[in-house]
Amino acid sequence: MAPEDTRSDTAAGHGGAPPGRTTGAWVTVGVLLAVGIVVPLLVFLYDQEKPTLWGFPFYYWFQFALIPVVSVLTYTAFRIAERATARDRRAHGLGPAAGRKGGFQ
Amino acid sequence: MTGGVHGVELAIFLFFFVLVTVLGFVAARWRRGEHLESLDEWGLGGRSFGTFISWFLIGGDIYTAYTFVAVPALLYAGNMIGFFAVPYTIILYPIIFVFLPRLWSVSHRHGYVTPADFVRGRFESKGLALAVAVTGVLATMPYIALQLVGIQVVLEVMGIGSDQGSWLGKDLPLLIAFAVLAAYTYSSGLRAPALIAFVKDTLIYLVIIVAVIYLPTRLGGWDGIFSAAKTSFGHANTAAVAAGKPPSAGIIPAQPLHWAYVSLALGSALALFMYPHSLTGVLASKNRSVIRRNAALLPAYSFLLGLLALLGFAAVAAGIKTDNAQLAVPLMFRAMFPGWFAGIAFAAIAIGALVPAAIMSIAAANLWTRNVYKAFINPSATPKQEATQSKLISLVVKFGALIFVVALPNEFAINLQLLGGVWILQTLPALVGGLYTRWLHRYALLVGWAVGMVYGTWVAYLQPSAADPHAHFGSSLALIPFSQTKGYIALTAFVLNVVAVLVLTPVFRALKVGEGVDETHPSDYHADAGDPGVRDVPLDEPGAAATAG
Repeated sequence: MAPEDTRSDTAAGHGGAPPGRTTGAWVTVGVLLAVGIVVPLLVFLYDQEKPTLWGFPFYYWFQFALIPVVSVLTYTAFRIAERATARDRRAHGLGPAAGRKGGFQ
Repeated sequence: MTGGVHGVELAIFLFFFVLVTVLGFVAARWRRGEHLESLDEWGLGGRSFGTFISWFLIGGDIYTAYTFVAVPALLYAGNMIGFFAVPYTIILYPIIFVFLPRLWSVSHRHGYVTPADFVRGRFESKGLALAVAVTGVLATMPYIALQLVGIQVVLEVMGIGSDQGSWLGKDLPLLIAFAVLAAYTYSSGLRAPALIAFVKDTLIYLVIIVAVIYLPTRLGGWDGIFSAAKTSFGHANTAAVAAGKPPSAGIIPAQPLHWAYVSLALGSALALFMYPHSLTGVLASKNRSVIRRNAALLPAYSFLLGLLALLGFAAVAAGIKTDNAQLAVPLMFRAMFPGWFAGIAFAAIAIGALVPAAIMSIAAANLWTRNVYKAFINPSATPKQEATQSKLISLVVKFGALIFVVALPNEFAINLQLLGGVWILQTLPALVGGLYTRWLHRYALLVGWAVGMVYGTWVAYLQPSAADPHAHFGSSLALIPFSQTKGYIALTAFVLNVVAVLVLTPVFRALKVGEGVDETHPSDYHADAGDPGVRDVPLDEPGAAATAG
């Protein structure tokens, strides 16, 4: 395998950057996303009626509350991933990723 | 119950329907590249969509008649499991975040338009690519069928296409709607649903916001809605017990139902991005960041989906009585709102079904053309022949969906979509597994796919519906073998699939069965727009320049 093959979403970049430089960032991304996937599936945490909020049983408002929470987790993961990607790309002598210029058109 | 045709309501509905039809045909000129004739232009809109358009487009894929008709129908009927749609769309986005950027990158390096393209390139297996392609086309049909049921429901409530009278009188309006959809999809490709999605989402936001703010004030607040639902389901349970049946209605799932809830959410979330239409929207985005940013922005739609689901309870509280639970929410709009607003609501629901139906049929057609027609039937097809083939197959797929509407029980149309999920999930090991590792053996993946498909289809076939004990494909839940727990058939079949792949891969490797040549390179999985070798069009169409973006 060629040297530039080692860059992956879980492993750190090689070459220009010190090894392990973005590992922590990618682990953080993984943990944030894992929380967002696992917690909504733990039905025993929220299969109750009380306490109600604005008339919504706990079961329902808890799941609604998870939507912005997971959204924030995902957005945080996005920001960390963007920075880590930029570092990984510099380490491989690539220019800034296209998305850094903004995606609206 | 439907009570004849209402003039204002119908006029408003027709106004919006004609508007989107005109937009659908005009779309052919919108943001147009040099050659609409090529498959990439027709099928992926030139792959130039940024965050804003992608957000609408992907939302259009995800929030459909499924959301407006199928899910609330379950809650109306006292089946609280239907709220699984909320955790499903919550966990979807972290899942998207992980693997779709890899697929975007490798697809743009190699000009892949379909998941089967990737599988063929990664595993050098035309057989596996064929399996993925055929599964994609097959699984899309019941999903489109759900959309058609959604349109049918709205037309029935409006008193056109009522259940009385001849077959033609019943289905003619649906067939007209269907023909219009087919015609503009044929001429404009993905641009049609992308442009219409703006109208659709504007209408839908309007309807939902008015509904969720206004309806509770009429129905004693959310408190009143939940307690009315609880009381009504309590009576239903008492009646069920008196009739010798187990009580099943309620607003919170009891412990034995937790796995059904979790498996439906997880199975649906894993399955969604295996569908060719979801991938079409993703591949059409401009770069990797658009995908990840969308993963954080799309949950705005989940909130609406949850509130829409609860309209099922609101219909109970509003005293709507109907044998067809799918009519409950449209009937409530008629009962609670003036005719003009009911017309807008019905237009929103119908257009909300048309847009995804168009996207789905385009994606299934691309899949067929690339991976069946070009791979097996006419390898030397010109780009123009490919585009023609795709257009024709998009019609065939829609007719296939009509067959599902007619042949399968559709008192709960969500089962149609969930049946699609049973099939499409069996392509996950090859697609997602392939994005991360080359260790899995192509023949093990093929056998695993076959195991999952046969088991899933057979078990689904055995499920009667609640209304008819002799029906087939009546439920998407079944007992997990050797247990007393019910779960989503797709997930059980998927586990068997993965076990077969993991057991057989070492066997095929030990027997030194050829594993094929991988045409992808590890750096392909991270490439972004502007990197060397990343391109907007497939190799076979160098003349089709990307649209300005």
